[in-house]
Amino acid sequence: MTWQPEIDELKEREKLAQQMGGAEKIERQRKGGKLTVRERIDQLLDPGTFHEIGAIAGKAAYDADGKLSEFQPANFVMGRGRIDSRPVVVGGDDFTVRGGAMDAAIGSKQVFAEQMANELRLPIIRLIDGTGGGGSVKTLETDGRSYVPYNQGWDWVVDNLAKVPVVGLGLGSVAGLGSSRLVTSHYSVMVAGISQMFIAGPPLVAATGEIVTKEELGGADICARAGAVDDIVATEAEAFARARRFLSYLPSNVFELPPRGAIEDPADRRDDWLIQAIPRDRRKVYDMRKIVRSVVDTDSFFEFSRKYGGSAITGLARLDGWPVAVLASDPYHYGGGWTADASIKITRFIDFAHTFHLPVVNFVDVPGFLIGKQAESEGTIRHGARALAALYQASVPWCSVLVRRAFGVAGAAHTDHTKLHYRYAWPSGDWGSLPVEGGIEAAYRAELAAAADPAKLRGQIEERLNVFRSPFRTAEAFLVEEIIDPRDTRPLLCEFANLAAPLRQPGTVATSFRP
Amino acid sequence: MATTEVTSEIAGTVQSIEKHPGDEVAVDDVIVLLDCMKMEIPVVAPAPGRIAALHVKPGDILTEGQLVAVIER
Repeated sequence: MTWQPEIDELKEREKLAQQMGGAEKIERQRKGGKLTVRERIDQLLDPGTFHEIGAIAGKAAYDADGKLSEFQPANFVMGRGRIDSRPVVVGGDDFTVRGGAMDAAIGSKQVFAEQMANELRLPIIRLIDGTGGGGSVKTLETDGRSYVPYNQGWDWVVDNLAKVPVVGLGLGSVAGLGSSRLVTSHYSVMVAGISQMFIAGPPLVAATGEIVTKEELGGADICARAGAVDDIVATEAEAFARARRFLSYLPSNVFELPPRGAIEDPADRRDDWLIQAIPRDRRKVYDMRKIVRSVVDTDSFFEFSRKYGGSAITGLARLDGWPVAVLASDPYHYGGGWTADASIKITRFIDFAHTFHLPVVNFVDVPGFLIGKQAESEGTIRHGARALAALYQASVPWCSVLVRRAFGVAGAAHTDHTKLHYRYAWPSGDWGSLPVEGGIEAAYRAELAAAADPAKLRGQIEERLNVFRSPFRTAEAFLVEEIIDPRDTRPLLCEFANLAAPLRQPGTVATSFRP
Repeated sequence: MATTEVTSEIAGTVQSIEKHPGDEVAVDDVIVLLDCMKMEIPVVAPAPGRIAALHVKPGDILTEGQLVAVIER
């Protein structure tokens, strides 16, 4: 006597689960240019490492003899696996079963995946396709009642943001609960063309009188520019690659520290062109990304959220192998001035670095907040104030490189001034409460009004004041601690990363990450 | 013929026109310079081709996302 008959039945049920929504629905999924959820999981994880949980959960029908006659697997496939040999939790919607909707779901599977990530302290990757287990009016008929909605598992979903890395991948049309699950993450990606994201799709929107296609409503470009998701990629393979790369910089949970990578790039490497990276003409822009790439470990810069809040560049990189969070200004976008969007992006980024104990390297060229009607109508100052609050609440090691400008409140926010000023200024440094060019009219109003030739006087005043702009005069007074040769930036930042490494403190932080 | 719309990522005042209709452009060539935050901020070509149309002139105040030019290839 053995239990072989039961094992045979188990294998049979597992086989049925592998068939997902059936050949026809799988064909439709493929025609839509999409992989099946099982293919996705296999491509995301290290080969052969997927250990599925709840494979045989679903809806079954039995014949008169009590034998299984039909089986529809639940439309959420989940389990554990490995990425770069480190354990993770993965859960994916199966769109081939009722479009991923709730009526074919077993909601507790999603909750289980979130709880598993939380209690085992493992990163979680959500592969989202469809409504993500969201509602359908069909349940009115099937259940014979309605219900007061609640967001099942949201306690775990929210707590996971404070405990483990969370990645959301949008791999189809995503609505409602699915959208919420995609963006309640530290990093989210949509695949252009096959993925759209909205609160409600075109049919529901049409009821409000707005006739739009899926792409017009929630195409990847719209979502990335709105800051709803971080990145757009062209293929699912790229989405998996970016998820893996993002996780490579992070600890498995906040109770650990970001792991040091390979040390392949000499810490004392000095790129000569850095001495001419910043134009002498203050009105000219330059390529900040090129500077960042030159200074961090070769090929280690991983930028994200590029389409949103463009005046701030955010990403991860390595310095002498140590993972760091990189914040930098992009002069091409409002001269690096902080917009409302950039402020929101910076807030979220500092909170992220703080949560995962990533030392921050900040390449500063901030002319201040964006000014003007647009800036005021977007509530820039409130969003900016939130970024300042995030900065002063963060306790991660922080190093600023004053590449060029630091003006006003936003410029002052290059560092928490109450902490040790771990910072370096380039000789192109230019700072103050407000730039000479803009401040003359306000400060010398009476003189200018009384002048016979105001333009000439203005020019004279500007010339007079410019003499005092030299960063050496600031350094004389020790108001900036060090002016460096830009070519020394990498060696000095590698030193910072090595000094910062033992200062990183594992554990949860008081200011938990919000999506 | 493929056309690419060049829009301004930022709001600003058109300071100068660097490429005119008929001019060939490569990726990242400066098409117009905007005056913004006391700087000259370029609007660059996202794709190579020929400037088929230019929709701005010096002094124009642009809003975010405004059409600047069309490139044909």
